[in-house]
Amino acid sequence: MIPPSVKTISFWLVVVFFALFLLSRADAKTVVDQMGRRMTVPDAPERIVALAPSITEIIFALGQQDRLKGVTTYSNYPPAALTLPKVGTYIRLDLERIVALNPDLCIATKDGNPKSAADRLTELNIPVYAVNPRDIETVAQAVIEIGGLLNAEEKARDLAEQMHARVQRVKTQVAKTDHRPLVFFQIGVSPIVSIGTDTFINELIVLAGGENIAAGSTAYPRFSREQVLALAPEVIIISSMTRGASFEQIKAEWQSWPKIPAVQNHRIDIVDSDLFDRPSPRLVEALELLVKLIHPELFGNPQ
Amino acid sequence: MAAQTSVIKRLLLVIVLLTGILAAALLIALSSGSSREGMGASLAIIFGQEDANATLETIIWHLRLPRVLLAVLVGATLSLGGLVFQALLRNPLAEPYILGISGGSAIGAIIGIMLGLSRFPGVTFCAFIGSLATLVLILVMSSGTTILKKDALLLSGVMVNAFCSAVIMFLVSLTQDARLQNIIFWLMGDLSSADSRTTGILALILIPCFLVIFFFSHAMNLLLVGKETAQTMGLPVKTVTVVLLVLTSLMVSATVSYSGLLGFIGLVMPHLLRLIWGPDHRVLVPACILGGGAYLVVCDLLARTLPQQGEMPAGVITALIGAPVFIFLLKKSRR
Repeated sequence: MIPPSVKTISFWLVVVFFALFLLSRADAKTVVDQMGRRMTVPDAPERIVALAPSITEIIFALGQQDRLKGVTTYSNYPPAALTLPKVGTYIRLDLERIVALNPDLCIATKDGNPKSAADRLTELNIPVYAVNPRDIETVAQAVIEIGGLLNAEEKARDLAEQMHARVQRVKTQVAKTDHRPLVFFQIGVSPIVSIGTDTFINELIVLAGGENIAAGSTAYPRFSREQVLALAPEVIIISSMTRGASFEQIKAEWQSWPKIPAVQNHRIDIVDSDLFDRPSPRLVEALELLVKLIHPELFGNPQ
Repeated sequence: MAAQTSVIKRLLLVIVLLTGILAAALLIALSSGSSREGMGASLAIIFGQEDANATLETIIWHLRLPRVLLAVLVGATLSLGGLVFQALLRNPLAEPYILGISGGSAIGAIIGIMLGLSRFPGVTFCAFIGSLATLVLILVMSSGTTILKKDALLLSGVMVNAFCSAVIMFLVSLTQDARLQNIIFWLMGDLSSADSRTTGILALILIPCFLVIFFFSHAMNLLLVGKETAQTMGLPVKTVTVVLLVLTSLMVSATVSYSGLLGFIGLVMPHLLRLIWGPDHRVLVPACILGGGAYLVVCDLLARTLPQQGEMPAGVITALIGAPVFIFLLKKSRR
C-alpha cells in the first residue's frame, strides 16, 4: 500500500473545495416568470407561500407540501391545507403576515393577485414568481413551472401527462356523439351570472361536448330569467359559488319555468364551485364530472 | 400684547400635548399588527436595539410605518378640512364627507382609474376636478336660501352624496375592470395601499397646504365673526374664501385618491378640540393636524387588529364613531 503523495492529497483537496464553491454558488437560480419579470430564486426553496388556492393545490399535487409555510384564506383543498397559516385572501393579501413567515419564495397567479402586492413583496426582497393558468393547457404548464422551481420536475411531468391523458379520454368519449346540448352554467344567483367564452369553464363545457349558451365576449355576463327562458338551455348547471345559498331554493326558482327544456327533463345540477373556479390540476376532475352531466347517455344512463 | 402672548402660550401647550398623544399613538400602531409579534420585540426595534429580528424590522419600517404615516396625513387633512368648512360656511355640521365633496372626488378618481391613468398625478387630478365640481354644485344649491340656510346646506350635501354613490355604483357595474376589484374596501376608506412612495408624494402635496391654512387661521377667526365685519377690518373676504375652499378640496381629493372615503373625521376632531381649547383657529389649525392624525392612526389600528382574520376598512370605525357624534351635534344645534 503506497501512501498517497502530498500532490494527490492536495489535488483532491482542490477538487473538493472547487465542488463546494460550485455548490455554494448554485444555491440560487435566475428565472423569468409569466409576467416577464426576471428574478433570483433559491435553488431549493424551503419556505414557500402560495398566494392563491390553485397554487396550494398544485404544490400539494406535486407532493411538496412540506415546503409550504403559508396559504390564502380559502385554500381548503386538500384538507391538510386548512391547518397551514393564513395570509389573507388572494385579492387582499396580508403583507405583514407574509413577511412574518419569512418566505424564500412566493408563488402568485398573474390574473388573480393584485400586481401592487407582488411588487411590494419584491421590493422587500421576497421573490414572487407569477404563473398564468387560464385553461387546462396552461394549468399543465404552471404545474411544470412550479415543479421546476421546487425540483420536482419528474412528478410535474407525470402530473401534466396524466392531465393530458384524461382530457384525451374525455375527447374520445365525446366524439361518439354529434349531439351538443345547450348548457347554461350559472355561477351567480342574484343577479344571475354566467360565463363567457374567455373563461376556463367555457373551455370545459366545449370539451365535455356541450354548447355554452352564454358564450360571448363578456367574461361574466349577467342574465335576466327571461333571457335564459328564451335561450332554452337543455342542461342547467349551478356552481355553489354563492356561499350559504340553498341549492333546493335555486332549483325551485328554475322549476317554476317548465317551458325550459332543462326543467322538463330534470337536468338541473349543482357542482362544487371550488372544482370549477380554480385553475388547478383538479380541472380534469371537473371536466370528467361535466361530461357525465352533459352526456349521461354515454355512460349508460338514459336521459 | 397680553392676548398675543396668551395665544402663543396656549399654542405651545396644545402642540406639546398633542404631539405627545400622536407619538404615543404612533408607537402603539407601529408595534401592533396582524403578524401578532410581541409588542416588546417591536418596541425594542423602534428604539434601535441591536441584534434585532430582521423580519420584524422589515415589517415595522417597510409595512407598518408607511401606513401609519399615511393615516397621520389623511387624518390631519380630513380634520383640517372639516375645520375650514365649518368656519367658511359658518355651519358646525359641515364636513367634506357629509357635504359630498369626498364623493365627488371619488367619482373623479374612479373615472381616472378606468381611463388607466397613474395614481399620481392623473387620478389625483381627476379627483380634484370631481371635488371642485361638487363644491360648486353645493354652493349654488344652498345659496339664496336665507331661511333654513343651515339645513339647506346639509340637505344639499346629503343629496349630492346619494347622487355620487349612485354614479359610483353605475360606473362600477359598467366595468369589469380588475383594477376596481378592491373598490368596496376603497369606498369605505382603506389605508392598506400605503407604501413609502405614495406616502411621500402625499406628504409633498399636503404639508405645504397645512402651512398655507395655518397662515390663514387669523382670517378664519375674522370670517367666523361675520363677513361684513371681516370686510371692514380689511380682509379680502372673497379671495380668502376661494383660496381656502380650493385648497381644502385639493387636499381632500388627494387623500381620497389614495385612501378612499373616510367619513366624519372632520366632524369629530374639530368639535372635540373646540370644546377643549375654544374657537381660536390659530390654536385649532395645529391642534386639528396633530389630533386628527392621532385619531385616524388609532381608528386604523382598530381596523387592522380587531378582526381575527384579515382586516376591515378604517372607514367603518370612523363612521361607527362619527355618525352618532353627528346626530348628537345636530340635536344640540337645534335647541
